[in-house]
Amino acid sequence: MSDHDTKTMLYDLQGRPLTRRQALKGAAVAGAAVSLGPLLAACGGSTSESASPSASAVATPKKGGTIRAGITGGSNSNTLDVTAEITNSDAARTVMCYEALIEILPDGTMGMLLAEEMTPNADATEWTIRLKPDITWQDGKPLTADDVMFSYNYISKNQKNGAGFLSVVDLPAMKKLDDLTLLVPMKEPNSVFLQVQPTWFLPIVPVGYNPDKPNGTGPFKITQFSPQQTVFERYENYWNQPLPYVDKVILTEYADITAQVNALLGGQEDTISLITASEISTLQSQGKKIVISPGGGFNPFTMNVTAKPFDDVRVRQAMRLVIDRPQMLDLVFQGNGTIGNDVFSRWDPAYDTSIPQREQDIEQAKSLLKQAGQEGLVVELVTADIAMGVVNSAQVYAQQAKAAGITVNVRKTTVTDFFGPEYLKYPFAFDYWGFQYYLPQVQSELLPTSPYWETHWDDPRTNSLIKEALATSDEAKRTEIAHEMQTIDHEEGGLIIPFFPPVIDASVPELNGLVESKIGAAWNNFDFKNYWLS
Amino acid sequence: MSTIHQTGALAPPVARPRASHPMFALVGRRLALGILTLLMVSIVIFAATTVLPGNAAYAVLGQHATPERVQALEAQLHLDRSVVVQYWDWISGVLRGNLGESFSNGDAVSLLVGPRIMNSLVLVLLAGLIGTLVGVGLGMLAAARRDGWLDNTLNVIALAVTALPEFVVAIGLVMLFASLALHILPGTSFIPPGVSPWSDPSLLVLPVATLVIVIIPYIFRMMRGAMIEALESDYVEMARLKGVSRRRILLVHALPNSIAPTIQVIGLNLLYLAGGIVVVEYVFAYPGMGAGLVDAVSARDIPTIQFITLVLAAFYVFMNILTDVVALLASPRRRLPRS
Repeated sequence: MSDHDTKTMLYDLQGRPLTRRQALKGAAVAGAAVSLGPLLAACGGSTSESASPSASAVATPKKGGTIRAGITGGSNSNTLDVTAEITNSDAARTVMCYEALIEILPDGTMGMLLAEEMTPNADATEWTIRLKPDITWQDGKPLTADDVMFSYNYISKNQKNGAGFLSVVDLPAMKKLDDLTLLVPMKEPNSVFLQVQPTWFLPIVPVGYNPDKPNGTGPFKITQFSPQQTVFERYENYWNQPLPYVDKVILTEYADITAQVNALLGGQEDTISLITASEISTLQSQGKKIVISPGGGFNPFTMNVTAKPFDDVRVRQAMRLVIDRPQMLDLVFQGNGTIGNDVFSRWDPAYDTSIPQREQDIEQAKSLLKQAGQEGLVVELVTADIAMGVVNSAQVYAQQAKAAGITVNVRKTTVTDFFGPEYLKYPFAFDYWGFQYYLPQVQSELLPTSPYWETHWDDPRTNSLIKEALATSDEAKRTEIAHEMQTIDHEEGGLIIPFFPPVIDASVPELNGLVESKIGAAWNNFDFKNYWLS
Repeated sequence: MSTIHQTGALAPPVARPRASHPMFALVGRRLALGILTLLMVSIVIFAATTVLPGNAAYAVLGQHATPERVQALEAQLHLDRSVVVQYWDWISGVLRGNLGESFSNGDAVSLLVGPRIMNSLVLVLLAGLIGTLVGVGLGMLAAARRDGWLDNTLNVIALAVTALPEFVVAIGLVMLFASLALHILPGTSFIPPGVSPWSDPSLLVLPVATLVIVIIPYIFRMMRGAMIEALESDYVEMARLKGVSRRRILLVHALPNSIAPTIQVIGLNLLYLAGGIVVVEYVFAYPGMGAGLVDAVSARDIPTIQFITLVLAAFYVFMNILTDVVALLASPRRRLPRS
């Protein structure tokens, strides 16, 4: 089950564009260092790891020990409030100390976490949630339906991240049926309320939640917190025994990938994540383990379909047709990751794999632009370091678009500026998403009521199809409707999704339990409860 | 006879400390100007930060910044008040001793930034001390054996090192001692919050070594140049002719006269260290002031930005005064009033 299928990658450093940030942070030198690395490594006489599955796949997990983990993407606004998760380490605290009703498994399917059962009535206007018995909070109190009701009210009332998903819930009419069961009525039929529960938006918090005093149902207690470092310790009475295996996890923030990699190489960390593919060979030559996940998150190019020239579907299609997707994946991620087809939620069982894969077609792009009267089109693409590979994708896109006569002026801003007042109003920009199932993702961004209405897509067909899908309890029928919606996305939509980026974890050989994951988050969504040290 | 007593014409002359009065006056004047400078800096930095697009509320809320949440947070942080009012709130707080709370997480700025300043201070002082001693020593050595093989080798190395950017030196050292060739030193120097930088001295070795390597060439070349000039002067030739020993010539006659310009360079390097160690901090994940400032600007965390820049400005002012005073002390000639 733990298939540590490390690929020995041969990659080409030429043609990999360097951003200003990378130049400043020394990645240019890291590149030189990497080529120098094997030379010095040979001097050091270290053992090299060949690409073979670890024998630990069949060993029994041992209890005990401390895992030191290094992550990037944090800031001084790292918070203990798990309902307001923004950075990577916020996400870690949300899933390690607290839990949601449902979780996403590494293969992209749903698993029951705090919920034993979650079932809709016949017309999807009511959901009944039954919790697993004998789950306790870290302060000893039992988990009850009151806590779930409190969590939903708290998140909605305080406009936390999950409030958008709860807007369909008739909160005042929620009813506790018994200590472990509650009835959740909907304002309109909603057959996918189950699918919005997992990951980070709807953690279950105790009645009277105080963010400054962490108290979750999760496998780890938070014993120390600062913006730079969080210390997690095992919660002995965690409901899912014998997990977690380790006693302690120390999660440290790094501002820079170079420092993160040096920490692993120098022995200050046991595992790091969200590194780029160019570090793989150095790490492997020093005996570290690499796990490359196909990834389920995505970083789309967003075209505002109400802004010229993207209001013309021919222009949008042309913008999609100029991309050489395999080449972009090669240049940005050294070939790791999965090619995209301009439709999101790749691993949702309802994803239509029969839609023909879009390929580069410069002639068609040119002819579409000519028909639309937009030959020699000039556009501005706004980008920032909001996620791995985003800035590189922008630069590769600008290069590729030249072939069709499109001039793309890439404007790079800081992350703060990017998410400033202009966010969600750019004519042509980016965004980043973790993995969500298809219909919830539509609700998140493809409707006029969506909280992240990047493309300003307001199509009567989409609007009515989503209503129909939400009212359909039959999964097969719902999938058909989803397929219809995906065809519209594919042929007319405002998103360009050239690929689903990989997630790369690296660790010392003694750390076991790392798996390839479709969730698109570090360490299979911070799955430290399943990790153990040999 | 009574007239003599009345006028006191035969009383002993009053000793007038002519040399130090102007010094105190100078320092006093410079301090006063320094405080004025700090005030100007605080206004300019405040203005610059408010001109930047976005504000702390957007930075905190990130991707989830809906208009309602932004407004609520802005009100909480008083960002909805006018710029002048915001500045006045801040400066009146500072004068009362309250440095404010970080916009990013509400913690007191002094608690958030204090440890970082201490950490950076340790690096700057260690690097400054070691760099100065080694640079001055090597400069003297090279000047004494001018045009010999040692002098030529040191010159070439100094030139080569000057050409290397800091992060190249840093990453080179890490690769050599921590990650690839040898594994005798830690690859990063993260110091957990609440822990003193001295708790594990091995963490300091590589960052300090990087900074030392970066500043030595300048001190070395200046010292060597000044020392060579001193060694070619008339009074040194006189001393040689008198039969004074080489060591005495070097240390007693040449050194004091070559120290003045070198002190300026040392001061400049310390200033450079204070402001420019951000790259080293990033490479070694060292929780210092430079990285703290970059993060604060990114997050538009005005109280933190103000605090760190004021500390830096105060350091600059202080170092400027110090180097000027020391240079003056080292050249008695300049202390005399002009005739």
